[in-house]
Amino acid sequence: MSRSPVDRQSTGAPGSEEGSVASALQDMSDGGLVVAIARYREEALAEAYRRHAGAVFALARRVLVDLTAAEEVVQEVFLRLWTQPDKFDPDRGSLRSYLLAQTHGRAVDLLRSDTSRRRREEREARQTAEAGYDLEHEVWDLAVADQVKQVVAVLPPAERRAIELAYFGGHTYREVASLLGEPEGTVKSRIRAGLKRMRTALKSSDLTDTDLAWS
Amino acid sequence: MELTHDEMEELLGVYALDAVTPDEAEAVELHLRDCPRCRAEVAEHRETAAVLAYAGSPAPPQVWARIAGTLEAEDSPPPWLDLARVVSMQDRPRGGDRRRSLPVRFVASMAAVAAVVIAVLGVQVSRLDERTDRLDAALQKEGLDQAVQAALFDETARRIELRSDDGVTFAKAVVRDNGDGFIVSDNLPGLSDDRTYQVWAIVGEQPISVGVLGNDPGVAAFTMSAPGVTVLAVTAERAGGVASPSGAPVVSGMLPVT
Repeated sequence: MSRSPVDRQSTGAPGSEEGSVASALQDMSDGGLVVAIARYREEALAEAYRRHAGAVFALARRVLVDLTAAEEVVQEVFLRLWTQPDKFDPDRGSLRSYLLAQTHGRAVDLLRSDTSRRRREEREARQTAEAGYDLEHEVWDLAVADQVKQVVAVLPPAERRAIELAYFGGHTYREVASLLGEPEGTVKSRIRAGLKRMRTALKSSDLTDTDLAWS
Repeated sequence: MELTHDEMEELLGVYALDAVTPDEAEAVELHLRDCPRCRAEVAEHRETAAVLAYAGSPAPPQVWARIAGTLEAEDSPPPWLDLARVVSMQDRPRGGDRRRSLPVRFVASMAAVAAVVIAVLGVQVSRLDERTDRLDAALQKEGLDQAVQAALFDETARRIELRSDDGVTFAKAVVRDNGDGFIVSDNLPGLSDDRTYQVWAIVGEQPISVGVLGNDPGVAAFTMSAPGVTVLAVTAERAGGVASPSGAPVVSGMLPVT
């Protein structure tokens, strides 16, 4: 299978066998896709890639900065879905959040094993924190959809900054505490409180995981 | 690392963002095994983080090309399944004493090859089962519609068009190799509460009940384990179902020959 999953919608005449398989895939839930992947259906992996690889790539790129390393993480995450689809547990959340958690974990591992990059990132973060500038200001503004921005807007600045440094900066909470000059316990609590605050805002908005997955 | 439950809870947010040390991660993971409440909280945090990661950028096609390339490379048979290599040309009988001794070696080596092939296939089959069993169970939880989708996607499943004699009423059925069957119809007329649709597998001329579908099926599941079924038929019966059909089928259809 060499054609791009991105283009797949245009292939296969409606009503043809290929068209109906493609259509069945497009309508299939993520859970159904993973079952098909477990049965070694490459086109199901292609559909999962079409739905989620954009977000996976964007997160890897955000954390690692380096384009090549980010692409390697994307490749690794989807090949892992292919070889170990049973690691995905639908009872524990959506496929998208599973893939993104895998992506983040792998990206952070790479970042932490790369000491030179680490030093550079810490230096940048410290400068940023000292300057009182939101490290991920640009990302929040450019890449996050309006509805997501509304949800993020519920965060007090201190919670937002701690989450940014931990999630996009790939720092441990101890490092975040050191960067912000705050007690470790405070940072831990702020991150947890901020995540809960956003969750509540998400639940009260009409924004669903499905909306995001299909955007 | 010994932590109280409160201390553990305080770590859940930073754990979900991978912002803990390996020791702390290990402690949280141990705790999560036995604490469904904390597991649910971590899952919620990860869903929230997934929203933060949202970006409208398209999937990078060049990376897909590499992934597809890797899958295609994996499609080639593993080297230990290459039978031609196992019995080399040098070992072929050429005459003299070797002619007597080699067949024994040949048989022995082929037996060894067969054992390896059987073992490998066994492992592959059980691996496929492992890959699908738990997911299938989870999928059923997602509801009947999802199970039907999986069946419709199953290329080995048999598909049956069922029609009334006048062709006005129709339904579709799909039966998987394991006997799981689903019937889908949006134009079987609803029956009164004391009636039900019942689906029959006809073996020879003998109808065997394979499922009671209710009075307004839409989508319904049945199980067909009998071999040699040639026709599927749906009749309207009294609620609860009957041992043998009381009247002519509402719809029926031939099974494709396998």
